[in-house]
Amino acid sequence: MIDLATRTTPLTLEDAVHLLRRTTFHPSWTLASSLVGKTPSEAVTSIIENIEPPPTPPQWANTPPEFNDFAAAARLWPELQQWWMERAITLPSLRERLVMLWQNTFSTDYITVYAGQWMLKQSETIRSQAFDFKSLATSMVSDPAMLRYLSGDQSIKGNPNENFAREWFELFTLGVGNYTERDVVEAARAFTGWRISGNQGVYNRGLADLGEKTILGQTGPWEWGDVVRITFEQDACARWVARKLLMTFVEFAPSVDDIQAVALLVQQNNYELKPVLRSLLTSQHFFEPARRGALIKSPAELVIGLASVLQTTNVDRSYAIASMTKLTQEPYYPPTVEGWKGHHAWITSSTFPQRQRYAESFIDGRQTGSSSKLLDVSGSPLTPDVVALIKSMPNNDDATKVVENVAKLLLPVPTTQEQRDVLLEIMLAGAQVYEWDIDAPSAAQRVKFLLQAIVRMPEFQLM
Amino acid sequence: MNRRKFLRSAGLTGVAVTTLPTIIDSFAVKALAGGDPRLNQLLESQDRILVLIQLPGGNDGLNTVIPYTDPLYYASRPTIGIPKNRALRLNDSLGWHPAMSGMRDLFEGGELAVVQGVSYPNSDRSHFRGTDIWLTATDADVFGSTGWVGRYMQTLAPNYPTELPAHPLAVQIGTSTSLGLLGTTGPMGISFRDPDEFYRLVNGGGGNEEVPSSAQGDTPAGREVAFMRNIARSADVYASVVKKANDDAGASTVTYPASDIGAKLRVVSQLVAGGLKSRIFLISWAGNNFDTHANQTSTADPTIGAHASLLGELSTAVSAFMQDMKNRGFSEKVSGMTFSEFGRRVAENGSVGTDHGTAAPLFVFGSNVNGGIYGKDPNLTELDDRGDLLMENDYRDVYASVLLQWFGVSSTKAQDVLLRDFSSKALPLFKSPVSVQDESSSSVGFISVGPNPAVDHVVVRVRIESTASASIAVSDMRGKELRTSSVDSWTGVGTIDLSGLTSGTYVLTLKADRAITHTFVNITR
Repeated sequence: MIDLATRTTPLTLEDAVHLLRRTTFHPSWTLASSLVGKTPSEAVTSIIENIEPPPTPPQWANTPPEFNDFAAAARLWPELQQWWMERAITLPSLRERLVMLWQNTFSTDYITVYAGQWMLKQSETIRSQAFDFKSLATSMVSDPAMLRYLSGDQSIKGNPNENFAREWFELFTLGVGNYTERDVVEAARAFTGWRISGNQGVYNRGLADLGEKTILGQTGPWEWGDVVRITFEQDACARWVARKLLMTFVEFAPSVDDIQAVALLVQQNNYELKPVLRSLLTSQHFFEPARRGALIKSPAELVIGLASVLQTTNVDRSYAIASMTKLTQEPYYPPTVEGWKGHHAWITSSTFPQRQRYAESFIDGRQTGSSSKLLDVSGSPLTPDVVALIKSMPNNDDATKVVENVAKLLLPVPTTQEQRDVLLEIMLAGAQVYEWDIDAPSAAQRVKFLLQAIVRMPEFQLM
Repeated sequence: MNRRKFLRSAGLTGVAVTTLPTIIDSFAVKALAGGDPRLNQLLESQDRILVLIQLPGGNDGLNTVIPYTDPLYYASRPTIGIPKNRALRLNDSLGWHPAMSGMRDLFEGGELAVVQGVSYPNSDRSHFRGTDIWLTATDADVFGSTGWVGRYMQTLAPNYPTELPAHPLAVQIGTSTSLGLLGTTGPMGISFRDPDEFYRLVNGGGGNEEVPSSAQGDTPAGREVAFMRNIARSADVYASVVKKANDDAGASTVTYPASDIGAKLRVVSQLVAGGLKSRIFLISWAGNNFDTHANQTSTADPTIGAHASLLGELSTAVSAFMQDMKNRGFSEKVSGMTFSEFGRRVAENGSVGTDHGTAAPLFVFGSNVNGGIYGKDPNLTELDDRGDLLMENDYRDVYASVLLQWFGVSSTKAQDVLLRDFSSKALPLFKSPVSVQDESSSSVGFISVGPNPAVDHVVVRVRIESTASASIAVSDMRGKELRTSSVDSWTGVGTIDLSGLTSGTYVLTLKADRAITHTFVNITR
């Protein structure tokens, strides 16, 4: 059974990086060092309560969608992606990690939805309600991007469209096995009546089926709000949320018992997630060695995380997005309504070498597999200052310690002596260990050798 | 010791590359060929390839193969029904969607089978469950973690990935790995979009310097590291094999359509023509494209719109691919099969679309396919309680045909792969190859073997000297002779009793005086 007892011992560097890897996109040396010695509770508070400037929406947020002008509509799609990337790469906060989780739960894509305004609106709803799952799910019923994506805006009394009702139960709230085909049919009737007007979902009761329905065992003249209420009365709904949280923050295949324990917390807190996450992220369970490196990084975690580690979060946003796309995670363009499957699905015979080439090129200030320079947000060449990174670490005059610290920063599992010996050999590149000098002109190249050898290791893909 | 050498010795142990036998399903049968060049040639011709084409999202079967004489079809689909005069004639009661002239032509040429009403008991209307069920070949209530292709591949290479065959067993054109390709030790195949890009990715990095694996053992992280190392190793080994095949193939002999699916089939053709010995190629659309809940057709003209475009992409791409394979001399070796997680509701919905349904037709095509229609026309009167079609053929009956007839797998192994015995229900979708011997080079040989697949007996016509004494032996795929039968030397006809033999592929050996020649017969019951 999951040990949700609070861990009270202060964080080591490895604990701090573990916490940051799982809860933010920013497992950097600077942030991790600032958490060392704090209790898990103090550290988690700083991540959950991280004060974020309320983002100012782009100018086009409230303009009418341009359905008859492809170029005007398509111009917004990269801007939408950059809007998200800007938040994720600049704010080391748990909220941004949750945005990714819920965006990948209430999946939509910009091609189907077409209106960048609606995609942005959904994204901002997710961001503002990321810690309140019940409000968030309720908002998704009337969300214009969702109404368009799952045909909810075309579902009327007498002719319901089942698309949204099915995914509501299967992917958003309960999971297979916790509802019947009959429930899908009846809920589809109850979800009728929605239209999109301007950039808003509007409920037109005149188009809604107000007849009697039986949904999950309850009979009445149910409308959409009743489906939401009845859904959230199901224990399965809390289990669904618990499972999502455990898969995101703890391990990819949580046990039934663990899900049950966290589901209880979810119910006790009425789907308010801050207290639930606080318990989970300060628990003994979360910090156990067996959890370290048990998840495979998503492209977002790889791309943004590496930029953060190398202190290069000023990297060109469109390059970061293009790199995620190459690694099969184009922001706002999941393959299906199920979103990205994650974990093993990220790694194939193509994407694994692609990840290696991306990271080793980035360290060298180059774009993946090419000699083109990496650029920053202003278009100037960007070369990670790897010497400065090492200099921010203690004992940087000792080559052995440099290897140890870099390995702790970049790898989620302890390295073996044999691995560190090989890494040291790679870094020294023929020099003797006593010749190590971080101020030597050759130090930058040697540190790059070390970093590149590490990012080629499968362990680097774990978190 | 220089660094590279040190790393090599400290790093990964070398990859054991084994040779995959050229005969499907049996390592022992090579011995059977012995020094017999004709049998060797015949076995080579058994080097068969299946191209799986996934139509993700749930293809609307009723607007693909249209029951255009059934008034219920038009009553259920007043907006999106394809008018009879616009459908392409298939037979008196069925028509093709007008975008599918390419596949219609294959059908007319006897090279395409329409398998009607394919589904499974208690069909699941969830995309993800439905897809998983099709890929894992499980019952509707079983949550499988390995794919049917993956399990078949494991029978070919039981020590994968410790020992890698010289060529990849299965190739997915795309960047994801299908659940269908998963075996118990991870993916049994490789994935890439473009052979050159794949080669550059694998070989474009920092060389072979490898940090040794950490001994995480049986921990979660340890298992993930092993998972990635296996994938990385197969990529390392196969990138150059794939590139060589692509380079050796030369140029396509046809112009492929500009669609994504056309581009993917072009890559498959290149690799096959270039000599890649993969058994299975898998391609798919990128998203749930066939999920046509809304705007499936234009409101003004039901023959155009989203679904028409998709069927047109499929049909033109398959047509180009088959022509390319013919021109390149590979059409005898390659078959294709489409599949989708479910069909769609009989009645249209209020959004010019259709909701999730159940049974739908699928297509099997190739020169060695017994073209035709398998199963009855969709029955729009007897529907289930949701208004969906009842099953006519279990999808695993089709898989069983593939395994038993196309790949020559024994019924025991097919049962292992499909988790149940479907061999008695396999549809006779594939032709068995007849003797490959050159007609002019010998006066002895097989003229015909039929029915093939056979049930309890097979009639063989052979060409022999009328004075010769001739016999035919039936052997299993390990070369064990099971029974012999005589041939009438005047008529050259012999009837062989096959009762008591289990479903699977058998070798027929004709012995006439000192001449020996071989062919295959499949038994399906």
